[in-house]
Amino acid sequence: MKIREKLGYTAAGLTVLAAVLTPFVLLGRFTKGVAALGLHVDEVYSGGPKVRTVKTGAYSIDIHRPVSPHLLQSEKPFVQLDWRPVSALPVHVSDAVDVDGDGRPDVRVSFDVPKDAKTPLRVNVEALNPHYEAMVNVGKERFSKLIVRVDDAILVRVPLVAQ
Amino acid sequence: MATEARILPPRVIAPRTIGRSVLLTLPIALWSLLIFSNSFRQPSRSVQIAGLLTAVFMMALFFMMMRTWSTYRWRRWFFVALGILFPVGFIHTVMVMRGTMGIPMEEMIAGRTPFCFMPIPLLILPAALTRTVVFPGSILPGAGMSGGGIAAMFGLWLAITLVVGKGWCSYACFFGGIEEGVASVPKLAKLRKIDPRWRYGPWAVLLAMVLLSLALFEPAYCMWLCPFKAVSEYVAARNTLGLIQNGIFIALFAGLVIVLPWLTKKRTQCAFFCPFGAFQSIFNKTSVFEVKIDRTRCSPCVLCQNACPTMSLTEESIAQGNTLMSCMKCGACVDVCPKHAAVWHIKGTEVAVKPERARLMLLYAAWAMAVMFGGTIIAQGLATLLHVFI
Repeated sequence: MKIREKLGYTAAGLTVLAAVLTPFVLLGRFTKGVAALGLHVDEVYSGGPKVRTVKTGAYSIDIHRPVSPHLLQSEKPFVQLDWRPVSALPVHVSDAVDVDGDGRPDVRVSFDVPKDAKTPLRVNVEALNPHYEAMVNVGKERFSKLIVRVDDAILVRVPLVAQ
Repeated sequence: MATEARILPPRVIAPRTIGRSVLLTLPIALWSLLIFSNSFRQPSRSVQIAGLLTAVFMMALFFMMMRTWSTYRWRRWFFVALGILFPVGFIHTVMVMRGTMGIPMEEMIAGRTPFCFMPIPLLILPAALTRTVVFPGSILPGAGMSGGGIAAMFGLWLAITLVVGKGWCSYACFFGGIEEGVASVPKLAKLRKIDPRWRYGPWAVLLAMVLLSLALFEPAYCMWLCPFKAVSEYVAARNTLGLIQNGIFIALFAGLVIVLPWLTKKRTQCAFFCPFGAFQSIFNKTSVFEVKIDRTRCSPCVLCQNACPTMSLTEESIAQGNTLMSCMKCGACVDVCPKHAAVWHIKGTEVAVKPERARLMLLYAAWAMAVMFGGTIIAQGLATLLHVFI
C-alpha cells in the first residue's frame, strides 16, 4: 500500500471517529470555542451595554450606552432606556431622564402601561436637550425609534440628532 | 495527453446477504438507539414513540443501503422526511411560544430569533472585522428558541462539515428535502435544456449577500432572499417593506422549491441559488470522500449527468473522471450508472479499486451525523404530529 493510500484511509478513519465523537466531545468543544471568541450581537439589536441605573420609587430606569450604527446601516444613532419591573410601573409613566449623566434631564418620556401585555405600546418623547430627537405617538417604527415590552421591562429607544 | 479508455463490461452485483447486511447495520443500530435513548426516557408518550419510530426508520434505511448497494434511493427517504418534518416541528414550536410565524421586534431585541445555518457565511466577515454578529440572536446556548444559540449552531456546523464537507447538503440540510421530494414526483423532466451558466448562480448570490451583509450590517439573505422563510418564520409584516419581503420569500419558494424542481427534476434552489451551498462547496476540498468516474468503465452515456440533482457533472468533468466541486455526495450518479463507473472514492487511494470500502466509510460517518442531527429533527416533527393527531 502506497503512503498516499495509507494517508487516505487514515484520514477516512479519523473522519468516522470524528463523527462518533461529535455529540460527546466535538460539538461541545466547538461551541465553547466559538463562544470564547469574544463576539457580541450587533448593538442595533441588543441595545448596547447598560451604563447606569436610575432608581425612581418602586421601579428603575436602565440607561444604555448610545449606539452608533455602522456606515451604511439604515438605522439612526439611538440610546436605549429600560423601565423595569413592569409590575411596579404606574398606569401612566412620565419621567424626565438624565441620559448623559450631567445632572440635567435630557428627555421626558411618557407612555401608558396597559395591563394586557399584548396591547401595543405608544410613546411620546420631549427633547429637553437638542442632542435627542422628539417622538410623538411612536410604536415600533424602527430599531432606533421604538417602544416595546421585552420580558419584564419596557424599552424605549430615543434617536440621537446627528451632530 | 488524452488516452482512449478501455471500456470494461458492467459489474453484476447481487444483493448482499441479509445476515451480512444486518452485521453492517449493527453499528448504526447501536448508534441510533444511543442517540434516541434520551427520548425513550421522556414522560411524553408521543416523544417516546417518535424516538422509537425514527430510530427504526434510520436503521431500516441503512440496512437497505447495505442490502441493495444503493445510496441515493434510501438516503432520499430520510432527506424528504427531514424536509417535511422540520417545518412541522419548527412551526409548532414557534406558534406555541409566540403565537405567530412572524418574528416580532421584541423577540429580535431579546435575542430570541432562532439561528439556522444559512447565514453562517454572511456573518464571518463582519465578525472577523468588528467582532460583531449581525444577527438578532444570542451567542450563548440557552437563549435561542431551541435553546441552542448562535455558538451552538456554529459548533454543529463545524463538526458536521469536518465530517462530510459539502455532504451537509445531502445529510444535514433541513430545507433541501422539500425540493428533493418535489423533484422526485414527476416521472420525466419537462424542462431539460438548462443553461449551464446557471451553476454560477449560488456563487453570485453568495458574493452579493456577503458584501451586502458587510455593508448593511444585517443578515441580508435572511432579510430578503431566503425561500425557506415561507415554511419557517418570516419578517413580521409591519409595513409595506415587510409585505414586499414576505412576497419575495413566497415567490422564491414557489419558484425555486416547488415549480422548477417539478419541471426539471433538479434541486434548483440548491443548484442555482443557495449561497450556503456554494460556501459549503469549498469544504469539498477538505473532505476526504468524493465521487469519481472510473474512465475504464465509462462509455460515456451521460446518465449520471442527467441524474445529478445539482448539475455537478459535465461532459468535460466526466472525461476527466471527476465531479465538480458542487457535488454534494448524494449518490444519484453512483446509483444510476449501469456500468458502475461512477464510484465512491477516498482521496489518495486508487479509483474504483475498493469503492464499496469508500462508500461504507462515508456512510458510517455521514449516517451517524444524519441520525444525530436530522434524525433528532425528524423525531421532533413526528412527536408534534403524534401529539396533535393521536
